[in-house]
Amino acid sequence: MRRTLVWLVATVGAVISVVPFYWMVVASTHDSGELFASPPPFLPGAELLANIANLEKTIHFSRVMITSVWTAIVYTALSALVSAMCGYGLAKYRFRGRGLLLGVVLATMMIPFQVLLVPLFQMMASVGWVDTYQAIIVPFLANSFGIFLMRQAFIDFPDELLESGRLDGAGDLRIFYRIVLPCVRPQLGALVIFTFMGQWNAFIWPLLMLNSEERFTVPVALNHLIGLSRVDYSGLMLGAFLATLPLALIFLLFQRQFVSGLLGGAVKG
Amino acid sequence: MQKNHVIAGVVIAGGLAMSGCATGGAPVKEAPKIAQSPADQLSGEIKVWSWDVAAKALQRMAPEFEKAHPGVKVEVVDIGYDNAYDKITVGLKSGSGLPDVITLEDTQIPGYAENFPGGLVDLTGVAGKYKADFDPAKWAAASSGKGLVALPWDSAPVGLFYRRDHFKQAGVDPESIVTWDDAVKAGEKIKKITGKRLFVSDLTKPDAFTMLLQQLGQGYFKDGKVAVNTPEAVRALTLLKTLKDKDLLQNEKGWDGRVTATKQGKAAAQPTAAWWSGTLTGEMAELSGKFGVIPLPAFDAAGSRTSANGGSALAITSQTKNQNTAWAFVEWLLANKDSQVSMMKNEALFPAYLPALSDPLFDEPQAYFGEQAINRLFADQVRKIPPVELTGDDTQVQEVLKKAVSSVLLNGEDPKTALDGAASRIATATKRPLAQ
Repeated sequence: MRRTLVWLVATVGAVISVVPFYWMVVASTHDSGELFASPPPFLPGAELLANIANLEKTIHFSRVMITSVWTAIVYTALSALVSAMCGYGLAKYRFRGRGLLLGVVLATMMIPFQVLLVPLFQMMASVGWVDTYQAIIVPFLANSFGIFLMRQAFIDFPDELLESGRLDGAGDLRIFYRIVLPCVRPQLGALVIFTFMGQWNAFIWPLLMLNSEERFTVPVALNHLIGLSRVDYSGLMLGAFLATLPLALIFLLFQRQFVSGLLGGAVKG
Repeated sequence: MQKNHVIAGVVIAGGLAMSGCATGGAPVKEAPKIAQSPADQLSGEIKVWSWDVAAKALQRMAPEFEKAHPGVKVEVVDIGYDNAYDKITVGLKSGSGLPDVITLEDTQIPGYAENFPGGLVDLTGVAGKYKADFDPAKWAAASSGKGLVALPWDSAPVGLFYRRDHFKQAGVDPESIVTWDDAVKAGEKIKKITGKRLFVSDLTKPDAFTMLLQQLGQGYFKDGKVAVNTPEAVRALTLLKTLKDKDLLQNEKGWDGRVTATKQGKAAAQPTAAWWSGTLTGEMAELSGKFGVIPLPAFDAAGSRTSANGGSALAITSQTKNQNTAWAFVEWLLANKDSQVSMMKNEALFPAYLPALSDPLFDEPQAYFGEQAINRLFADQVRKIPPVELTGDDTQVQEVLKKAVSSVLLNGEDPKTALDGAASRIATATKRPLAQ
């Protein structure tokens, strides 16, 4: 009896979470006009190839995907490195104002991004970075959430290991790369997934910064399908569907680290 | 299509309010003015921001301008409609990052003109001579700041789209509808015989009310005073209430709801702007031959038979380093019969430039509309669109009106009472006096 109830709840939950995704897939195989029919189509249609061709024609989807992929990878790699180094510094080095510095880093997490928009835009404009790739990568390299996450990861790292490394004559960088970093792979995996997703889905900042169509990222380009008197829903759905694929790939690649990263803190005292 | 930028607007405005203190950005108070320069002196590169079919039109037209003016380069960027104003607002606020020319919808012009004085170039000196050649309602919208800050592009004359088959089945002659009273009577008859309601409307939004109010020649403000409870306003809302009470309004949520309901044939008519034909032919090609258009029913037998719903203009930002070329392009594109006709033909952008409307293109019968020359009908209405006062506070007013309109249409409140309440709330919020 209880088992049936659990199954029932699980099934309903699964349906609720799968249906929007299913609709996205179905909608991407129909002509936009067909989606307004009632009842709406429940089975995949025959327009997938036409929609792909159309998406390529209207917003150069392949170019947009390539831009999104490489900017997200570059950002994720650099940002993970910065987070790890800053987190390590804040966790393991004793210096004046360490607590204050950590406080400042955490405080930046509490400022809503909307407040930073205009000043940050002015900064980018004054260094001539409007409409450049570095404008969507560099300003967010020091990611306070990532720094904090990595600091927490390093704080329990035994000092004895660092000392023995030093005794054996290893420099700070060597200790960091050879001894410390390999030990926090789970947390690093989690951080990579978080930052990649954040950058992949970033919308308002790339929208404000990028002005040339050849530099658009996926969310900014998809936004162009919403017109004044027509909305290309099948294009939007297809684009959104294709855009989830790299995310799924990243998640699969880093999944093992991710799960153990999330649970990593659960049993530590 | 009237979309709401409320959320984005609030977010950005919040950011602006706070950053305002930090940067102390004081824009120039007086809009820069420009002078006409001879065509042979033009040079340099200009950038233009636009979206949707407007961007397509610009991309097609730019090379022609370049051909006529060697040494000039025009780069058109399609920035997408949905968040265009976020980009424009941040660009104006920070005083950088904007291109030479931007596209603005008429309803957005007053807000930018009021909040960023000096952000857009005052075109009065060079464009004033064209005043008589443009849709008067659009000219009024573009000059709602201190001077003329944009040159009108496309008009959005409103008519009544109707379903030929539904009207025929009910035995109603669409041409016999002259006033809204006629329309209500016809609607009752159609409802009784075909079961179709008269038109689709989102009862939680003030859009239909605003359109009817403009038909009566009024905006939300009169000489800067709050005017949402004038006799005209009460009349407009009372008409909607009558339609609702007789169960003639098909209530559907938002844009997608309206498109879906129209495709399903839930309503026999739709009072909306000429651009709706693009939505019809695009989303419901299978209904070809079923639609026709008549002028909007009037409130009084001799009253106005149109209104406006949408339309854009081009503005030159004061961040431009190439004002003369920018103006030359805008002038060549918009105050020019050939280019306006070309954009009507290819992108269905309905010219606000009156001389273009005499082109034979407008007399062509349209197969989709049962061989009716609907563009002639709309073209004849363009110069008759009642000009109204638009202000930067209009978005705020719409928020207040949402509540007033839905309480009347959904909860049966008295129109006068609801609008009086809305007027006093607006007066408090905008610090403006009441007109009545």
